[in-house]
Amino acid sequence: MGSLSSSMWIAAEALGADQGALDATSNNIANQNTPGYSREIPVLTDAAPTVEGNITYGNGVVLEQIQSVRDQVLQIQISDQNQQQGSAQAQYSAMQQVQGLFSDPTTGIGADATTFFNSISQLSTDPTSIPDRQAVLTAAQTVASDFNSTEQNLDSIQSGLNQSVTQTVTQINTLTKQIAQLNIQVGQMQQLGQDPGTLGDQETQLIQQLSQLTTVNQIQTENGLTLTTGNGTPLVVGGQSFALQTTNGPAGMTDISSQGQDVTSSLQGGQLGGDLQVRDTVIPGLRSQVDTLASQFATSINAAQASGYDLNGNAGQPIFSDTSGAGAASNLKVSMTDPSLIAASSDGTQGSNGNVANLLAVQTQALPAGESPVDAYANLVSQTGNLTSQANAEVTASTASLNQLNDQLGAVSGVSLDEETTNLMNYQRAYEASARVITTVDALTQSVLDMGSGVTAAP
Amino acid sequence: MRVNPNYTPDILADLWQSQAQEQTAIQQLATGKRVNMPSDDPAAAAADVQNQALQSQNDQYIQNTSNLDGSLQTADSALSSVVTALNQAISLGVQGANGGVSSADQQALALQVQSIQSQLVQLGNTSYQGSFLFGGTATQSAPFALDSTQPSGVLYSGNSGVNNVEIAPGSSLQVNLPGSQIFQGAGGNIMSSIQQLVTALQSGNTTNIGTATTQVGSALSYVSEQRVFYGSAVSQLNSNQSFLQQEQVSLQTQDTSLVGVDFAKAATDLSQAQAAQSATLAALAQIIPQSLLNYLK
Repeated sequence: MGSLSSSMWIAAEALGADQGALDATSNNIANQNTPGYSREIPVLTDAAPTVEGNITYGNGVVLEQIQSVRDQVLQIQISDQNQQQGSAQAQYSAMQQVQGLFSDPTTGIGADATTFFNSISQLSTDPTSIPDRQAVLTAAQTVASDFNSTEQNLDSIQSGLNQSVTQTVTQINTLTKQIAQLNIQVGQMQQLGQDPGTLGDQETQLIQQLSQLTTVNQIQTENGLTLTTGNGTPLVVGGQSFALQTTNGPAGMTDISSQGQDVTSSLQGGQLGGDLQVRDTVIPGLRSQVDTLASQFATSINAAQASGYDLNGNAGQPIFSDTSGAGAASNLKVSMTDPSLIAASSDGTQGSNGNVANLLAVQTQALPAGESPVDAYANLVSQTGNLTSQANAEVTASTASLNQLNDQLGAVSGVSLDEETTNLMNYQRAYEASARVITTVDALTQSVLDMGSGVTAAP
Repeated sequence: MRVNPNYTPDILADLWQSQAQEQTAIQQLATGKRVNMPSDDPAAAAADVQNQALQSQNDQYIQNTSNLDGSLQTADSALSSVVTALNQAISLGVQGANGGVSSADQQALALQVQSIQSQLVQLGNTSYQGSFLFGGTATQSAPFALDSTQPSGVLYSGNSGVNNVEIAPGSSLQVNLPGSQIFQGAGGNIMSSIQQLVTALQSGNTTNIGTATTQVGSALSYVSEQRVFYGSAVSQLNSNQSFLQQEQVSLQTQDTSLVGVDFAKAATDLSQAQAAQSATLAALAQIIPQSLLNYLK
């Protein structure tokens, strides 16, 4: 049977539930700009009823829990895009530096090699001219120093990336440590059926930061999340994090290992993957092409020299020091200092320019690698341009996709001020109404108590 | 349907995009180039490198052409003087062959022809900027010297080498004829015919004088043929010069279409980006203050 006191209790419970709901609303409003925050909703259910005969009495409201609204699938997709964006961004910024070395068509190896050949062509109109011969040597110096500086600049970009790799590994280790700490608490709460709330938000946020740095695979287990790199190297298992180690590898580059095993080549995605890709694949590839070009260019010019005679009637000596293999471009030097030693003559007489044709042939004929020097350089320009524009396109695509996913996630988890304001008013009204019920029941109780006093007061 | 309540990242992304477009357009207008970095158009950037190389090479061909002009003109005018000298020698020979001429006059004529001989040796030693033009490829020492021990009275110490200079892609021009060919050629040996004329005049034998004079005449027609080489080389240089200048213009045109900016398009892009940006800003200014709270009092 319904009673005044049960009405009182129902109203009192309702006050508590509304207060909880107001708490959730207040927390939502407070965190509307917190990155990674998922809005919370109070889960209200009606309490189990009391049945007496034919009548079922409702027992008011119960605040079951305050639940964060999340979308695990979207989070995983975002993590995926984060690692793509991180990788593309890292490659793009490195490639922008690299293509800068090949960006001016009027300077650099290509243009200066042409100037070198032009100086030889100029010499053919006056083969005994010392100023013209000096111009050939000067132009040769310029080409050699272009090769030197191109290789040195590639080397310093590579070193910069190497530094970034080391720093990124440190960041990854810090993040996995933080995630592991949160992971224990979140796991325990989940086991107890509790909503991890803001702890879960924080963990998700850290995982997103981690995926900007490297590819992260997530596996949900009973003890919380297990995080591994793309190829399965563990990063976080339950409450334990596995730090990546850095060791000095060959050629001054940092290798990355996990529990004693070298995992450098298997790390992909994220800033780390992007840096490693440019450091270990793109730049070494470009350097070896520049080396090949330098060595074949020098060898061909020296061979053409050898087929002619210098101003003293002696067989032509090399203009460039012989270089080959890795570092050929940075080791390229002009070994000739005396301009009269340029072998323009084909018959040993001073006035002959017959060997100029052999020297000039290097300009137009394919080097052993398959292209003329200028074409080989143009090829480097288009390669670096393509790699840069590809990386840029990937940045644009992954950013657009990330924006789209974040929009979707925001639609699920984002705090809407209008919504919260509406809820605020609802809960306020509900609270006021419940309070009114209590006042009403109180007045009724007073009336009941007053009933006896009214009887005794009768005359 | 619930939508993302936090629209600022989207709007900011739009703003950044229009800002980036604006910057690209401004850079293109400022540099006059559509391709400022290889990544703007990798294929065009590579073609630009090749085009710049061709332009620079073409400039050098133009330079070569004008360098050669001087030496070829000098050689040509030297040979023109040779022709004049030979004509003088012929008229002296004709005078000497005349029966009424005294022996003393013939000796005087012989002296005059000898001075023509020296003049021819001098002409054979014509140099341009320190290089002797008629010594073959032995350009650093005078190729001709008077030498009475030689049958022709003149010793040639040059060689028979010739030089070629590339004056256009794949096209070379021969830039000299060896002095041995011009002055002592099989078709008409200037030096020995003059020497014979001197000897004939000195001996006073009118028949021999006549024969020698005829030989000088055939040497004259031979050297005139040789002179054509220089004349046509000079005219080849002239036509090559205008070809190279046209080539330069066409290479520059190609380059502009490769990497140059379409100013109208870049200007349109710029104003579009600016319009997009101000529209986004206006939208942002309108939306941000809007909230239910504005209406609750």
